[in-house]
Amino acid sequence: MNWLLPEATDLSFEGIEQPLRILSGLGGGTQGQVYAVQVGAEQLALKWYLPACIQRDPQLRHRLRQSIVLGAPNADFLWPLALLEPSASTKPLIRHRQAGFGYLMQLRPPAYVGAYLHAAGALEISLQNVLRACFFLADGFHQLHLKGLCYKDISLGNLFLDPNSGRILICDNDNVDIDGQGQGAVLGTPGFIAPEVLLGQVRPGTTSDLFSLAVLIFRLLTRHDPFRGQMELEIRCLDEPARRRLYGEDPVFIFNPSDSRNRPDPIEHAAALITWPIYPQPLKLLFEQSFVIGLRDRHQRALTGQWKLALARSLDRRQLCSHCGQENFPELQSSTNTCWSCRTNLPKPLRLQLPFGLVVAANGNEFYPHHFDRLASEDLRQPLGRLVAHPQNDGILGVQNLSQQCWQVRRRNGQLISLDPGMTCNLTALQQIDSCSGTITVLR
Amino acid sequence: MAAQGKMQALNQAIRQSLPGMVEVAHQNPEARVLVRAVRFADHAAWHLAEATPVQQLQWRDLEAGGTTAMGEALELLADALRSPPMEERALPPVVVLISDGQPTDDFEAGLAKLMHQPWAQKAVRLAIALGHDANLEVLQQFIGSTAGGEDNSPRRPLQASNATTLAQYIQWASTAVVSAASMPASRITPTSQTQNSSDRAANGSNILLPDLPPTLMDPTDENVGPLVW
Repeated sequence: MNWLLPEATDLSFEGIEQPLRILSGLGGGTQGQVYAVQVGAEQLALKWYLPACIQRDPQLRHRLRQSIVLGAPNADFLWPLALLEPSASTKPLIRHRQAGFGYLMQLRPPAYVGAYLHAAGALEISLQNVLRACFFLADGFHQLHLKGLCYKDISLGNLFLDPNSGRILICDNDNVDIDGQGQGAVLGTPGFIAPEVLLGQVRPGTTSDLFSLAVLIFRLLTRHDPFRGQMELEIRCLDEPARRRLYGEDPVFIFNPSDSRNRPDPIEHAAALITWPIYPQPLKLLFEQSFVIGLRDRHQRALTGQWKLALARSLDRRQLCSHCGQENFPELQSSTNTCWSCRTNLPKPLRLQLPFGLVVAANGNEFYPHHFDRLASEDLRQPLGRLVAHPQNDGILGVQNLSQQCWQVRRRNGQLISLDPGMTCNLTALQQIDSCSGTITVLR
Repeated sequence: MAAQGKMQALNQAIRQSLPGMVEVAHQNPEARVLVRAVRFADHAAWHLAEATPVQQLQWRDLEAGGTTAMGEALELLADALRSPPMEERALPPVVVLISDGQPTDDFEAGLAKLMHQPWAQKAVRLAIALGHDANLEVLQQFIGSTAGGEDNSPRRPLQASNATTLAQYIQWASTAVVSAASMPASRITPTSQTQNSSDRAANGSNILLPDLPPTLMDPTDENVGPLVW
């Protein structure tokens, strides 16, 4: 890599008191280069733009300033912290005639890896954590859109996730703008761009974000592209004009219930056919809403709040196959569910009835404040309780108190137990839990 | 020997670009990145005959010498772009022509045979002129139309006048361009010069070519002139 900034050098920037030490180059792309830098005691990341990128995008500096003032929608965004303009003494040290500018952000922790790895099947990640990642993604866009902002270019390339927790980081926030304003240069990434933007009819904004978000959630859940089916096989060379047809001029959702022209091919598109049946109907309906009616009518696309609700409810019904251990998300009403992986019959599971929701008793499932409060927005960050297997005997399932208060647990024989925060109570013969958030009843 | 120096610089540049190519292939698991190479001097021959996955590629050094059988090289390439051996469905191939001289055989006939192949027309064709003696017109003919191609454009032959720029161009063609051909990057609004044309015409190519690498200022580059020849 040819680095624009000198490594192992102190550089000073306008408006920043202490100099920044450029530690090392971390990577480069078509827009700019990213460096690890030391600012006082803190290590941060610095993105420095390539001159061609600055030239192409005259609004870039303005958008960055705006984003810095508005602040990050939530902690899942690697948001710009400060704009860096080189001082007079720094300019000669930059290895280009046009010194350019950049911005500071947090370093991406090493646990977070590129979401494209998951799309390629190269990550070991549970379906629970995939659904959580989708939830956090929808939630991030929910917060972003609530601030009146739009992202414009979400794709697998700027999403990172921690496979062990499902937590995410949304990177490359430099196209973020006030919705409906600005003349930003970016249109989006092919495969994720809404058709009306690809065809040049509409500028990117929140409604095109909703399309890209649906594509990204689809790709995370199914590890397949929602528009690549039979019609792709008729394309010999997937080049620019072919992508325009596939995603812009005549896109057909591979699972469109009323148009079967583009169904997945059993060999070429096996992943889609295996993974699609895993997910509950309410989630599938949101995809249909976004990719069938919402394909042409951008105001009909599934909203971030709808995604959050459907994803959170899917997590609530997660059940583990007693035969193969695979995660399933069966219909709770239906009595004849089978494991999608090994076809074993799934017995009706124990469930926890909460004031506003039903959570299946399966190792790893959690319940949250939104299960107790109708007005609380779905949030997975602070669970109040979790179903956990006994550390020595994973056949024994318990409920762990993750709240700050003591729970009163009533067993079926009338025995009362006080369960301190952090402690777990065996689910067997458990009848009811009284927590200060509300009552939890075990349904058998 | 001047010619020998150029070839060593080229071998180095190719070898140095391999880890970047592996990284690109890794980032785009949907695509299989395969590499082949033709060498040409008095005659053209396959230097890397097997289409080799980039992860397994070990570069054997090219040696300088002889004349410039560029037409023959294009004919060999034409055979390889037929289907089969090319798959019926594929991402656009990226073909990079690197030359330091004048063709000494029937270049036009070779080019005509090449361009007869649909995959050659679909291919992203780039050319790198090695040193100051390369025939830029011939390289431009290989690339094709210059629509929208300003002086500093990938639709023009890239002139590598020293080892540093050569390495940069090879790296760019083998990573940024290969990536763009296989995994689409962010799109930007067409600029004013290209406003009235679609991506295809604006770019003169059936993929959107990435920006050329920025020319970095380096004291050795600026003041000493060519490093190797």
